[in-house]
Amino acid sequence: MLGIAGTLAVLAILGFVILPAAVVTLAAFNDRAILTFPPETWSWRWFAKAAAYDDFRSGCRNGLIVAGWASSIALLVGATFAFALDRYSFPLKRMLEAVLLSSLIVPHFTIGLGFLILAAQIGWARGFAVVVACHVVLVLPFVLRSVYVSLRNLDQRLELAAASLGASPARVLVTVTLPLLAPGLVGGWLLAAILSFNEFTASLFVTAQRTQTLPVAMYNYVREYADPSMAALSVMYILATATLLALANAYLGLGKVLNVEPHR
Amino acid sequence: MSSLTADRRSKERAGAPAAADSDDAAVSLSGASKKFGKIIALQDATLSVRRGELMTLLGPSGCGKTTLLNLIAGFLVVDDGEIEIDGKLVNEIPTYKREIGMMFQNYALFPHMSIADNVGYGLRMRGIAKPDLKRRVAEALSLVRLTGVEDRRPFQLSGGQQQRVALARAIVVSPKVLLLDEPFSALDRNLRTSMQIEIKEIQRQLGVTTIFVTHDQSEALSLSDRIAVMFEGRIRQVGSPDEIYRRPTDRFVASFIGDVNVLRARLDMVNEQAIVTLGAARIPVPVEPLAEFRAGNQVDLFVRPERLRIANAGEPIAVEATVAAHVYQGGYVNLYLEAPAICTNRILVRSLEPDAISRWPTGTRVGVSIAGNDAIAFEAEPSPPDRIEK
Amino acid sequence: MKPQPFLRIFVSPAALCALGFLAAVATVLQYSLRAYVPGSLEAGDLTIDNFLALLKPLYARVFLDTVWICFLTAGSTLLVAYPLAYALVHAQNRLIKAAILIIAVTPLFLGEVVRTYSWIVVLGNNGFINSVLLKLGLIDRPLQIMFTTFAVITALVHVTLPVMVIMLAAALAHIDPIYEKAAQSLGAGPIRTFLSVTLPLSTPGIIAGVTTAFAWTFSAFATPQLIGGGQVNMISNLVYQLGLASFNFPFAASLSVAGLALTFAILSLLRVAARPLEKFRPH
Repeated sequence: MLGIAGTLAVLAILGFVILPAAVVTLAAFNDRAILTFPPETWSWRWFAKAAAYDDFRSGCRNGLIVAGWASSIALLVGATFAFALDRYSFPLKRMLEAVLLSSLIVPHFTIGLGFLILAAQIGWARGFAVVVACHVVLVLPFVLRSVYVSLRNLDQRLELAAASLGASPARVLVTVTLPLLAPGLVGGWLLAAILSFNEFTASLFVTAQRTQTLPVAMYNYVREYADPSMAALSVMYILATATLLALANAYLGLGKVLNVEPHR
Repeated sequence: MSSLTADRRSKERAGAPAAADSDDAAVSLSGASKKFGKIIALQDATLSVRRGELMTLLGPSGCGKTTLLNLIAGFLVVDDGEIEIDGKLVNEIPTYKREIGMMFQNYALFPHMSIADNVGYGLRMRGIAKPDLKRRVAEALSLVRLTGVEDRRPFQLSGGQQQRVALARAIVVSPKVLLLDEPFSALDRNLRTSMQIEIKEIQRQLGVTTIFVTHDQSEALSLSDRIAVMFEGRIRQVGSPDEIYRRPTDRFVASFIGDVNVLRARLDMVNEQAIVTLGAARIPVPVEPLAEFRAGNQVDLFVRPERLRIANAGEPIAVEATVAAHVYQGGYVNLYLEAPAICTNRILVRSLEPDAISRWPTGTRVGVSIAGNDAIAFEAEPSPPDRIEK
Repeated sequence: MKPQPFLRIFVSPAALCALGFLAAVATVLQYSLRAYVPGSLEAGDLTIDNFLALLKPLYARVFLDTVWICFLTAGSTLLVAYPLAYALVHAQNRLIKAAILIIAVTPLFLGEVVRTYSWIVVLGNNGFINSVLLKLGLIDRPLQIMFTTFAVITALVHVTLPVMVIMLAAALAHIDPIYEKAAQSLGAGPIRTFLSVTLPLSTPGIIAGVTTAFAWTFSAFATPQLIGGGQVNMISNLVYQLGLASFNFPFAASLSVAGLALTFAILSLLRVAARPLEKFRPH
């Protein structure tokens, strides 16, 4: 369909995309401490080491805590606001939307710096609170967009039908709107959680030694050590992410969520 | 005279006049078939479209008419069979080399180009020089009666205007065959009717071979030189509108075109003449559909509503029925009669008498006579036949 | 007016978040205008010294480098992403579509550090490329690829690719296929159809993609930090060095503010430059 040249080009590009992941996988199984290609001897030991490394373990735990809180808060804030955005009119509506979406354009290092200084100024210790707050701001636009798109695709006549049958606005919301929005909500939450877990730049600024998330822990590790533990950790990361995405595609239809389905 | 029509006229004079000769076929298919997975969209289609004629592919949705059109256009490739345009085999030739002109259902005017650029697109692809191009674009637009809009963009024009631009774009390249894919289905009724008349005139003037796809039988009957009626992937009958209407060759064609009543009757004589008995009436019918039959068999008699009349005194009565309902239609009255013995559904009779409703109120027992001799009979269906009404 | 039963409770949390965000940004703004007090996290009095210091050639160079890298990355990403997006939208087989989508999008969800580290393993002196070239005998000594602008841009393109593919694919998916059919029926071969119909109609997607890619790349930190290794510096790296390494918050803040202003300026310029292309928007 694309012709030989086109197919080759696409395969080459896909190769480019996969290259780092493939290389890292090779490196992770290398028995020796220095990265060589191809590995002369193979072993699992770097996986064991990575899984046992304290900083990685605490980083993973912290990351899950932050991601869990940040995406849940972002879901509440984002879903309710998306609803108001779609259905209601109120003063400063567009401005509020613009402010909340602008965290997409403002560099993460600026946001991180700002939260860092702010926390210091108002006396918040560098604990989880500031990290979660920062992450909420960062992932909110994604949740907002995901839920908003779902709302737009919702047939409002279903809600009108429920109302005509005697349901109060609150009951309509709970019994009709929410269930129909579920895929959009779940998708938004998942997206936010993944992005929060992986967020690095802003986290570098706002996390402290005891609250550091996994990406920050990995960054610190790379700066000091050159062994393949990081490679092993990366492989685990890649597998987990790819699996999650494949599931999301099968269950939620990733193409629809990302709006790349062809025009029918 | 514009270069478009001069082009055509000289081609006509040079070649033989249009005849039923397949050598003069502008487009011909033989044994064309197309499957999509398990679904057979088109089966063994053989069709010959004469140079300069307007052939309509008519049938309900799913009959294969759009598939056939797309095969001629080259958007689909045949699984079996051959397609020839102008005597040349085109199976392997891609769309953009087939020299066709196509009009799509939703206009498909390029939104990012002006009207002039839209119409001139095909000429640009053929490398026509600019001054020539401009002239031909202007000619085409004046032919479709749309001037002064060259610099506008499609979204600035009305639906009817966009349709004209689409037509101009397709004909300006002097295509070997013009393909129209239900082009008027998006227009409202009045606009539709006027566009039908216009396109017929333009087609006549240019003499371009045209294949028109529609599911609207009145459109087909009014526009076509010939109609190919299709159903379930097969071509059922090809003929002039009159032939299709008055001498359908199978049940489907008989019931698809226009309203028709299906009455259970008895076949009386078969030899050179087939006569069907219905009540006191003896009706001659074509013998071909009944070739396998003998006298005494049950047959289904297909009669058009306009051939049925409430009998006056002394006329042979074919059917005795009860008036069940009236529908006033302004110029005529539709009378629905019940006669369960010979017809499962209601019998439709059309009366031009303005006092039909008061003369034969609901519940009246009337006699129905059959006029004319273009009734047709087919093999009786095992289950009760449907009367299909439009 | 239509009843709006949940207005207050639905909008308040969002308003709160917005305030928090604005407070953070305002803090940066505020600090950029205050003096640096060495050894303390507090800032001194109002001053514009921080911004004046930016005019030094050292910093001007970093600004220019950043803009240059962003443009190159956005442009390269467009060239690489377009074929992928096209294939994604036009592929007939559902499995192939899913495969392309997942492969193209996965890097997005891997996080900067994993991605950047993977590139280190590919580009390093002991890395994949050098090992292969050495084994094949094409070179005697390892090529120094790390710490070059080329390496940084390659990794940045890899990072930005998923976003660009998604935006381009969304735009391409919304082009009615009937236009390509119409072009073909008028005699346009595949290449001419693409150039005269598909490409122009995908312009809104291209503009959105390039703009987003630019903003994203500007925000990149881990990639230039680890792959640039101090030799290739973008604004983000400077802010980190000054802010977290030296604790010169005010100067880091002024860098941020200047960077922000620069981004908005360039994005606005891009928008204005793209205005004549608006005519390609399908109505």
